Amino acid sequence: MQLTVRDLSKAYGLLWALRDLNLDLVPGECVALLGPNGAGKTTLLKLLAGLIYPTKGKVYLDGAELSRTSTTLRSTIGFLTPGEHLYENLTVRENLDFFTALYNKHTSSAVIEKALEEVGLTHRSGEYASALSSGMKFRLSMAKWQLLEPGLLMFDEPYGVLDGSGVNLLEAFLKSQCEKGNVVIIASHHISRVLQLCTRALILHQGKLTFDEPRRQPWESFERAFADFLPHGGP
Amino acid sequence: MKLLRQTYLLLWKDLVLELRRRESLLTMFFFGTLLLFVFHFSFDLVPEKVTEMTPALLWLAFLFTGTLGLTQLFEAERANHCLDALLLSPMDRGALFLAKTSFNIILMVAVEIIVIPLFWILFNLRSWEAVPLLFFVAFLGTIGFCVLGTLLSGVTLKARARELLLPLVLFPLMIPVILATIRCMEAVLRDGNIGDAAPWLRLLLGFDVIFVTVGILIFDWAIDV
Repeated sequence: MQLTVRDLSKAYGLLWALRDLNLDLVPGECVALLGPNGAGKTTLLKLLAGLIYPTKGKVYLDGAELSRTSTTLRSTIGFLTPGEHLYENLTVRENLDFFTALYNKHTSSAVIEKALEEVGLTHRSGEYASALSSGMKFRLSMAKWQLLEPGLLMFDEPYGVLDGSGVNLLEAFLKSQCEKGNVVIIASHHISRVLQLCTRALILHQGKLTFDEPRRQPWESFERAFADFLPHGGP
Repeated sequence: MKLLRQTYLLLWKDLVLELRRRESLLTMFFFGTLLLFVFHFSFDLVPEKVTEMTPALLWLAFLFTGTLGLTQLFEAERANHCLDALLLSPMDRGALFLAKTSFNIILMVAVEIIVIPLFWILFNLRSWEAVPLLFFVAFLGTIGFCVLGTLLSGVTLKARARELLLPLVLFPLMIPVILATIRCMEAVLRDGNIGDAAPWLRLLLGFDVIFVTVGILIFDWAIDV
C-alpha cells in the first residue's frame, strides 16, 4: 500500500484545521504522528480514513483517488481508536462476524477463533462488548483489524487504555502489519514508545506539517522540533 | 445484489440489537396505546363522525409514535462512534438507508398491528371488514413516513437539538403523505374500497417510490451534512 497526499487542507468554518499537507508513505512504513493538542492529528487521520472530506487537496491510495464513490478503496483503510467502533450489545464474536461480513471477507470460524486467541479473548467470545474493559475492547479492535486486513492502518492514541501485555500485543501487531507491507500511522502523545517502533516521525503544529524525517540516532533535529511542545518549568 | 446483502446484514444487526434492548418498540407501543386512551377520553366518536375522524386520529397516533422511533433510529450508531465504523467500511451508504428505513417500517407495522384493532375496540367501531384494506393504506403511508423520516434523521444526525429539529423539518414535508393516507382511509371507511380516492393512492405510491430512490442516491450526502 502506497499513500500519497497532495495539498490536503481541511477547514471547519473559518478555522483551518489542516493546511496544504503533502506526504508520501511507502509500503511497510510505520509513521509516528506527533503534535500538541489541536494540531490537526485526528483531522488528518479522519481525512485519510475518508470519514471526513477535504476542503482542498487529494488523498491517493496505490494511485487511486480516495473520494465519496471509492467504496472498494475503503476496504483497504483501517482506523483504530480505543473503545470505539464496536457495538456494545453485540457479543465479541458477533462483532467480528458482523464486520467481516460487512467487509465481504469470507472468514472461516477457525480463523476468527484464532484471531480471538491471539488477543486473549477466546474465553470471552460470548460476552457482550459492553462487558469488556477498555483494554479488552482495544484487543477486540485489534482482532477485528487483523481479520479485515487493511493496507493502511491508523491508530489514534492507542496506548492510554492498555496494560503491559496489551502494549506488547499492540507492538507485535504493528510490527507484523509493517512486515506485510502495510502502512501504519500512529498518533500519540507517548513519544518515547512510538519512536521506538516507527521508522519516521511527522510533527503537526497548528494544522501544518512542521517536521518530517526518517528516524536516526541521535536525532537532534527531532528533539529541537519537539522541544516547543514539551512542558516547561515546574517546581 | 451487493446492496441487498449489505442491507440484510445491517437490518439483522438492528433487529438483534432491538430484541436485546427492547427500547424503541416498547416505547413506541406504550406511547401509541397511551394516545389511543387519550383520544378515547377526549372524543365522543359517534357513528356519523367515524369516517371523518378515525383516519386523522389514527394517523396522529402513528405520526407521533413513528417520530419517537425515528429519534432513536441511529442511537446504536451514535454510541461508540459506530456510525464511523460503518462509514469507514466499503458498505454502500444506500444500504444503510434501506436497512434503517426497513427497520423503522418493521417497528411501526408491529405497533400498527396492535393499535388499529385496539382503536376499533376502544371506539366500538363495527366496520371490521374495512380493517385489512385500511391496514394496507396505513402500510403505504408508513413507508412514505419512514423513507422521508430516515432521510431527515440522517440529515439531523449531527445537529445538537436533533429531537426537536426532526419533527419541525419532517412534518411539513410529510403533508402529501398525511393528506393522501387520510383521504384513502376515509374512502375505505365510507365505501369499503379506495373508490374516488384512487388519485390519492397513486400520489402515495409515487411518493414512496420517488423518496426510496432519492434516499438511496443521496443518503451519503445526507449523513455528511
